[in-house]
Amino acid sequence: MIHPVDTILSLVLLSVLFSFGTSRLPKLIIVVGFQGIVVSIVPFFIGHDMTPGGIVFTLVTFFIRGILIPMSIYIAIKKKAIQRKVAPIVGYHASLLFGLGLIVAATYISRQLDIVSISDYKLLLPTAISLLVTGMFLLMTRRNAIAMVLGYIIMENGIYLVGTTFSVRALRIVEFGILLDVLAGVMIMTVILQNIKQTFDDVDTAHLRTLKE
Amino acid sequence: MVEIVFLTPFVTGIIAFFFPKTIGRQLLVGTGAIHLFLSLFLWKNRPEAIFNNYFAVTPEGLLSLLVISLLFFLISIYTIAYLKESEIQAENIFTGSMLLFLSTMTMVTLSDHIMVMWIAIEATTLASAPLIYTHRSSASLEATWKYVLICSVGIAMALLGSVLITFSMDIGNVDAPLSFSALTKVAKELDPIWLKAGFVFIVVGYGTKMGLAPMHTWLPDAHSEAPSPASALLSGVLLNCAYLGIFKTTKIMYAAGLGDFSGMILIVFGLLSIVAAATFILKQNEYKRMLAYSSIENMGIIAFGTGIGGIAAYGAVICMIHHSLIKSSLFLSSGNILLGYGNRFIANTGNLLGRMPKTFVAFFSGFAGISGFPPFGIFIGEMFIIVGAFRTGHYVTVCIFIISLCVIFAGFANQVMKISFDDSTKGASNKTIQVKEKASLVWPQYILLLTSLILCFFMPDTLYQTIIDAVTAIGGGLK
Repeated sequence: MIHPVDTILSLVLLSVLFSFGTSRLPKLIIVVGFQGIVVSIVPFFIGHDMTPGGIVFTLVTFFIRGILIPMSIYIAIKKKAIQRKVAPIVGYHASLLFGLGLIVAATYISRQLDIVSISDYKLLLPTAISLLVTGMFLLMTRRNAIAMVLGYIIMENGIYLVGTTFSVRALRIVEFGILLDVLAGVMIMTVILQNIKQTFDDVDTAHLRTLKE
Repeated sequence: MVEIVFLTPFVTGIIAFFFPKTIGRQLLVGTGAIHLFLSLFLWKNRPEAIFNNYFAVTPEGLLSLLVISLLFFLISIYTIAYLKESEIQAENIFTGSMLLFLSTMTMVTLSDHIMVMWIAIEATTLASAPLIYTHRSSASLEATWKYVLICSVGIAMALLGSVLITFSMDIGNVDAPLSFSALTKVAKELDPIWLKAGFVFIVVGYGTKMGLAPMHTWLPDAHSEAPSPASALLSGVLLNCAYLGIFKTTKIMYAAGLGDFSGMILIVFGLLSIVAAATFILKQNEYKRMLAYSSIENMGIIAFGTGIGGIAAYGAVICMIHHSLIKSSLFLSSGNILLGYGNRFIANTGNLLGRMPKTFVAFFSGFAGISGFPPFGIFIGEMFIIVGAFRTGHYVTVCIFIISLCVIFAGFANQVMKISFDDSTKGASNKTIQVKEKASLVWPQYILLLTSLILCFFMPDTLYQTIIDAVTAIGGGLK
């Protein structure tokens, strides 16, 4: 039987491919929001201790990861009329091919690791690894500063997915602290983005080259 | 009780955001004094934390805490004089961020829970970002962007590493709190493979923040663009905080019998940093960037010493303390040079001896200290590290280590001589001195250097015992 978690995670894997191929920032933001929503509701399905506190926490995560973070970046783009292309260093086709290879590799590695405690959910680990590497890839191969911030968020989502599955012991308050840090980090990055836009009239990081060795 | 040490600056920091700048300045020094008092109280009494699942008073934490406290107090006195001389927009944001930065760093030193440690270290990044952007120039914007992005991504790796450690608990069927002290006790039962993986990610993650090569690229930019008091804090104590994260994980590794593995990784990263610093310091034309590269070198030395263990680990902790004292004094002196010459290129300075004699004394003795000359403490620390490396048979690595130190000394000395004595430069011929060397602009440096000097000849028993307690847990000591 296919577990419901695997069903929604397969959509995340598709969205990973989409984020490799898309050239438009608003689309990429929607993808990030979708991934945020899915990774935050996974604990509902895996269902270790669903106490009232746990449910509230999951909903807060859902709100912050799925709505607040993507929205704040979207508003920043709208308000400052920031250029909407992601300015790739590696082309879209090559990126897509890399994405396909990544998913295959992630699945293979997860099989090799063979972790008993999450063996019911076949796509969990592959998705987490794919999200992590996708974030890294976007960080390295996109010159647009917003795409880089989105890459960072995708990476964070990946780590969160690993975290929810493994750290049964992690306490809510601690997880909440982590979430707040990520949120504050993204907010600060958005402020910097707006300042970059104001100073250089663009968010292409090619402008940020004066301090190079 | 323990928590109050980081809650005080947190509250005053928030207050400083909303009040006019004159109050902010008083708050800065006042909080610094209270913080120093509280830290000494912690040192003396070593109380239990209220939330003892998350916070604990540990020897290595206390060492860092005392250094942070002393440095912040002296830097806050300097900052007031500095702020009067320089023009900074939105000063309330600057002072508020300084206090929040102090609060988050204190939290790092006191945290015992792995995830709380991560939260605190990430929070230091966020609190210090506004400090780097203080001057509102395009270069400082670039430095802030690099700092926030590279450090956040790096620290995300450390989060992954922490998650992998929880996983090693799952596999090993260990039921213990997720705190460094508890995990050190049960380290033998943790799954070694996942523990190793976690350690590597944590070293890469916190190593980014500590400035270990090749993840150091943000450091020279951030340290040179921030105002000098902030640079002094960034270099003097923030790097130690990141090191603390690695140190505590090393404790778990050592207790798990994986000390060789963790040692090897630290040696590699340490050597890489020293070599990278030696390569880049030679061609620096800005004095603050030069100091930043020297910080990378010293962090490399500390990681190297920790990796070798034994007497070298003791040397590493000595180096850590003295690097904080001396490097922060150097950054404060560089603030005076910036105020005096109005320029940060070495070519536009010169004849510091004639133009700013008091700053010259601080700057030049700082240089002697950081290069490892006696009678300053780094000499002893480096000597212990070298002796330790020879004893354990790391002949090749220690040779690279010594050669790199010589290269760095040569590059550093060349530039410092230009700044201090060269009167043929543009800066030296321009006779207008832009700032008077007031007592509060030089005495903090003197006190920092004197502290380093005194600690070299006379180390109080309690300090010695705390250092020994800290390094014994990673297999170090004076034997």
